[in-house]
Amino acid sequence: MKEIISLTKLFINESLGFSLFFYNQKFNKKEFYKQLFTLIIVPVALIPAFFMYVSLMSATYFGLTLINQTSVFLSIGYIMATVLIIVFGVMYILSEFYFSDNIEELIPLPISQRKLIIAKFLSILVFEYIFAAFILIPILIIYGVGQGMGLLYGLLSFLVFLTVPVLPLSLMTAVIMLIMQSASLKGRKDMLQIVFVFIGIAVIFTVQIWFTSQLGSGDEADFQLLMNTILTNNEGLLNSIGYLMPTSFLMAWALNKITLMSLGWVATLLGITLLSCALMVTVGNRVYLKSIVSGKIIKKGKPLSGAQRSKVLGKKSHGAMAIFTMDLRLLLRTPVYFFNNVSVVIIAPLCILLSVSFIEIPPEDLQGMQEFFRAMPILINFLLIAFFIFFGGTSATTASTFSREGKASWLTRMIPVTARDQIVGRTGVAMFIQSLGIVFTIIAVQFIFPLPLSTLVITIVLGILGSLPILLFGLFLDMNRPLLNWDNPQKAIKNNMNVVITLFVGMAYTGLLIGISGLLGYFVNPILGYGVFALISAILSVVFYQVISRRLEAEFLNFEGN
Amino acid sequence: MLILEHISKTYGNKNEKAVDDVSFEVHPGEIFGFVGPNGAGKTTTIKMIVSLLAPNSGKIRINGIDNQTDILGAKKQFSYVPDNPELFEKIKGIEYLKFMADVYQVPASDRQERIERYLDIFEIKNAVNDPIGSFSHGMKQKLALVGALIHDPQVFILDEPMVGLDPKASFELKKIMREHCDRGRSVFFSTHVLDVAEKICDRIAIIKKGKLIEVGTMAEIREKAGSQESLENIFLELTE
Repeated sequence: MKEIISLTKLFINESLGFSLFFYNQKFNKKEFYKQLFTLIIVPVALIPAFFMYVSLMSATYFGLTLINQTSVFLSIGYIMATVLIIVFGVMYILSEFYFSDNIEELIPLPISQRKLIIAKFLSILVFEYIFAAFILIPILIIYGVGQGMGLLYGLLSFLVFLTVPVLPLSLMTAVIMLIMQSASLKGRKDMLQIVFVFIGIAVIFTVQIWFTSQLGSGDEADFQLLMNTILTNNEGLLNSIGYLMPTSFLMAWALNKITLMSLGWVATLLGITLLSCALMVTVGNRVYLKSIVSGKIIKKGKPLSGAQRSKVLGKKSHGAMAIFTMDLRLLLRTPVYFFNNVSVVIIAPLCILLSVSFIEIPPEDLQGMQEFFRAMPILINFLLIAFFIFFGGTSATTASTFSREGKASWLTRMIPVTARDQIVGRTGVAMFIQSLGIVFTIIAVQFIFPLPLSTLVITIVLGILGSLPILLFGLFLDMNRPLLNWDNPQKAIKNNMNVVITLFVGMAYTGLLIGISGLLGYFVNPILGYGVFALISAILSVVFYQVISRRLEAEFLNFEGN
Repeated sequence: MLILEHISKTYGNKNEKAVDDVSFEVHPGEIFGFVGPNGAGKTTTIKMIVSLLAPNSGKIRINGIDNQTDILGAKKQFSYVPDNPELFEKIKGIEYLKFMADVYQVPASDRQERIERYLDIFEIKNAVNDPIGSFSHGMKQKLALVGALIHDPQVFILDEPMVGLDPKASFELKKIMREHCDRGRSVFFSTHVLDVAEKICDRIAIIKKGKLIEVGTMAEIREKAGSQESLENIFLELTE
């Protein structure tokens, strides 16, 4: 047990960088204050969102009391927390179990596989508990206060809360371990991860679209029947929703009304949770280290002949192109980078296509929509511009461009590449990915209604131009404070405040810019609207470009401290 | 070729200097060894030379170019291989070499000839199409060496180059270093292997606790120390 606790502490310390934090406190005050600022500012920034969530949940509870369906309230919270734990948990599990460097140092030590698995699982669990607490505790309190529950409810709620992240995470860990141990996948770890997550997203999305389409196609009689059930039976909604996640029934039965049976339901929930943990440890004990060893095998290429080497090396590229190619290769070949920077340009247009395929829009509605947009092209133009900026401006591509290089960043800082080439190459990657998103979106939108040439030209030019200041702002941030000390590429994105700041600033800027120029275009003159949009974007881009190009080479000298 | 003038560097604790008023010069055609105990300031000095760190005071000139005022110009004059070359793991060896050739703007004919030659010498021709992530430490070091030699630098800077190399590669590297200097260029390297430093260096600098305590040829160092002993013995006496 002592060994498990000490290993868990080690993994948590490694994830959060406590040791580096305290080292900086003593020896690198500047960096320490930066970290401290981030530690304070992130929770503070989340307070308004948390209060909004609590208000929303209070309103939901109040709404449910009006239709006599409060019994479903706890289940909604349970399902919500579980789904979010699953979504975020996949990456945490893969990172901690399969992509963390510490396993190579731990395998030779006399530590049993079982202890390693439990400690790694516990280290993930700590983060998931914090996450689950934000989602579930307000719901448990709102329900407890609303129903006038007592101390026993509090105790049972606490026990139920303890099970919430454990059950889905342990089952998911077991499944992932089984998939990763497959011998036929040796050397294809990266590809497997990409395929694995895309399948997950596709399944979730297809199910959601299918549900939506089913609701949309339901006739009035079905709807009446559902409403009658809801209004006459105070557990009607619970039964309908509970089937999505059967363990939510146990939670609801345990806490909706506190009786002697509640103790039994909580015990059952605890029992199922423990069983799922035992299953995970048993599966892991058989396959985990084996899969680690096979996963470490990297697929090698075929040896090249002299002529083939000449062919590759003979093509001389410009400095900006060399930076562009290197950055793009790293993005496409590192699964975490791929998901965070590239997948959105595939998923978003896919959403449009799938929605169109599953949900039938009546021809008269479609025609009405087309006529509406034809009458006011400025609306669809700015809508599309916003969508295109979303691809470029809100991706983490430039905001993590140096951070993604991690410990290999010494190379970037040492090579004689001009600031201009660095900016062009790195921003070019973001724009290239954005362009893919634009092309896919245009193809998808063509299925709804064909876009006129003027719309295509205006939206493509302004969409790219509009995102340029955000891309450069991200590059500016990552140039000033890159996150280079990581042992797992996920940290370069997920632990990187540059990405979060660029996302929020980018969204606020896009809203403001489109708001101002859209209003000018709608009320005064469309040309004026587009002109103001282009002018502001161009001025800001030039300003950022100048600032970055003046500072970049000098900033490379300060990278060491970050 | 490489001139350091009164270079100082502190990290967190401003009273403790990692490098303290260091000055020396590396002449054209010279292999210059930089030795010192762990934590003496060798790597910090090298990082300041190759523009990975900014000194708090002092000037560094590489082939006549100030590496603080003309950073890019200075970078074109040297190549650097760190003690533990972390390279982009997802990139293939050949892609890395092409990248290095492109950023140093090496002409197409030169790059092919040099890369072929060094790939042969370091025996990594068959591995060059593999992702760098699949390379051993030694292979990564060999690849970094090939990448650094592509543009035939004026000053070749290496931090602990022999660590991780097999005996043959180590032998070949020493030969390359000598050939490089024979063409009027310079090699500056840090090492803990004092035998190597004694045998191949034209001049040696010894650093201790951030301060330079000795610079000169082996003969000069022996003369100052008043001893005919090996560099190892003199080093131990000086750094005790």
